[in-house]
Amino acid sequence: MAIDLISYSLVPLFAALIIPFIPRKHRRITEIIANITLLSGIINLGYVIIYYLVLNDYTSYTSDAFTTLMLFTIYLVGMAITFFSTYYEVEKDTNFSSYYSLILVSVSAMCSLVMSRDFFTLYIFMEALSVCSFALITSDSKTFSIEAAIKYFFLTFPASVLIIFGISLLMINYGTFDFDTIKFTSMNFLTFVSLSFIILGFLIKAGIVPFHFWTPDVYEGSYSPVSAYMAGIVTKVGGIYAIIKIVMLLSSYGFGSNLSKLLLFTGFLSVFVGAIAATVQKNMKRMLAYSSISQMGYIILAAATFSPIGIIAAVFHLINHATFKTVLFLNSACVEKSTGTTNMDELKGLEHRMPWTSWTSIIALFSTAGLPPLSGFWSKLLIILALWQSGHIFYAVAALIASVFTLAYFTIMQKKVFFGKLPEKFNDIKEAKYQLLIPVVVISLIIIFTGVFFNRVFPYFERILS
Amino acid sequence: MNINFPLDWFFIAILFFTGAYCMIVSRNIIKLLIGFEIISKSATIAMITAGQATNNMALAQSVIIVMIMVEAIVIASGLALVVKSYRLNGSIDIKKLMNLKG
Amino acid sequence: MIFYLLIYFIIVVAAAMAIMSKKLLNSAVMLALLSIGISILLFAYNAPWAAVFELSVCAGLITVLFISAVSLVKNDEDALKEKRVKYTVFPLMLVGFAVIASIFVPEYFANLFQFASFNPSNNPPLGDMIWLYRGFDIIGQITLLAASIFVIKHIFTKETKNEH
Repeated sequence: MAIDLISYSLVPLFAALIIPFIPRKHRRITEIIANITLLSGIINLGYVIIYYLVLNDYTSYTSDAFTTLMLFTIYLVGMAITFFSTYYEVEKDTNFSSYYSLILVSVSAMCSLVMSRDFFTLYIFMEALSVCSFALITSDSKTFSIEAAIKYFFLTFPASVLIIFGISLLMINYGTFDFDTIKFTSMNFLTFVSLSFIILGFLIKAGIVPFHFWTPDVYEGSYSPVSAYMAGIVTKVGGIYAIIKIVMLLSSYGFGSNLSKLLLFTGFLSVFVGAIAATVQKNMKRMLAYSSISQMGYIILAAATFSPIGIIAAVFHLINHATFKTVLFLNSACVEKSTGTTNMDELKGLEHRMPWTSWTSIIALFSTAGLPPLSGFWSKLLIILALWQSGHIFYAVAALIASVFTLAYFTIMQKKVFFGKLPEKFNDIKEAKYQLLIPVVVISLIIIFTGVFFNRVFPYFERILS
Repeated sequence: MNINFPLDWFFIAILFFTGAYCMIVSRNIIKLLIGFEIISKSATIAMITAGQATNNMALAQSVIIVMIMVEAIVIASGLALVVKSYRLNGSIDIKKLMNLKG
Repeated sequence: MIFYLLIYFIIVVAAAMAIMSKKLLNSAVMLALLSIGISILLFAYNAPWAAVFELSVCAGLITVLFISAVSLVKNDEDALKEKRVKYTVFPLMLVGFAVIASIFVPEYFANLFQFASFNPSNNPPLGDMIWLYRGFDIIGQITLLAASIFVIKHIFTKETKNEH
């Protein structure tokens, strides 16, 4: 494990263990502890990244650029969710203390996961993360959320079992689990079988077609800030991060033409199934869930080219997608709180009453579709460039066509929900409280700045591969 | 010791089939959890055969201790979810959980 | 060799009876018997620490959890609605699967066994292994325990206001 960054995962764990000792009527102290912990982590990491690595180019501060970037994304999404859920339902006295403890413990598990240099350590923290998310999904005690949690439980535990079988087969061949000692110098049959088990397990956890059956139900049925959390970071760190790590290990030894074809085909299926299914949905959260499947397919397409520019494109699109989906899901939570429904046939013309929500979701959806000068444009460009340069012309053209589909269904959603004439029953809804809008606006500003100042940000990404 | 390796994996395959059959066929959620337990036991034996083949029993044992702990925690949280679902719905049949389509 | 075959036979019979029984209480007891069988197997493979751990956790704790959950969830009318034919046909399917698998599986894995790297010198004692080499798994275990505490507390919380 990378030992110099370990305090980023121990501090949330200690804060989570202190919270149950606070008496139940002091709700403010619990919220203040949770928010301050994550806020301090993010200020620290933001300072490190922007001052040392983007402006001044010090290379000896930290050992790994990829880890620091993932830690920053985890803290950013965690901070947004904690701040949002502090002000989301103030009047109902729900089970707040264990909710904040669970979010802090899952942030700690994710930070330790990205710092591990070992297959088995990855497995332990991934199990801790999925146990936390079983409980977080059921936060509002309705039948929908219990059902979503049971579906998540039974459809993702085969992934854990497959990963354990793969790890034990890998141990037969090498005798150890380290990333540094396993050198894939010769791809014999046993390594191939074990790696295919492991990659299959992680594809199920990430929600890629043809294993995507749990994703729409879980995102639709869970408590609203928690579905933003799950779509924003949990399925990414729990699934796609390990696949990118394995691709980075394999590509430095020049292997994997069979694996590349298989992953390209899987990514291509995900992109198209997600895009086509998202156009016919009526519920806003379900449409966002299918759009998540589609964008994960883009990340797999980029990583499957096994080339340096492909890996940079995959990492950049991962971080971008975390920001887009957080903004979109938090906006849908605001809409649900103000109007009481998420059915897109009933919502109409909300722009007149909720201008800030409307404009931030326009920024997020233009960035997903890939319009310049936002950050989504650069990551889509890098993905299509990586596919073109490694010779897969068909997949590059298919990715371009699917990008048009993405623009289509998001514009349909925007027109239905936000533009148009306001019907009678929505005449007295108010804009969401200003505290609920602060995290959304901050993340939208990050999307804009990453896109506009891309030439400053890009050399940092090249250092990932070293 | 080492002549048992194919025989071990034959029994691992049989146990895996048993657990998977239990998960596919039954309608009671607690029976599904019993199937999950049987599959986890077969994963434990898989790890022990790997440790035996490379003569690295200490690493295999530390891995198995953590795996048993993970399995106990996952089963505890699964049973908690089942009990809460029974309190809200009144039955533990998996065919009745069809509110969310798909 | 006969010893191993006997233990495997006990394990498979216990698993089959755990599936096919009508009452859930009998299934939990058969699961405990399965865990005892696995523990004896681990002793025979010269892994005493894992065997003791398995005995105390699986044959003790998980059985108690199952029995307490079964007694909290009393369903009388749902227990007979399932078709029993799916369970009584199970031994037949198991024997069929065993026959098919015995053709393909053993020689597949004997083929894979050639790639095993057997190093007879690298065998540190268990205490060294847990504390020195894999010391960061301790943080993983603490995280897992903290997660489980908060999960159970969160699922079974008392609500102060009723939902109408």
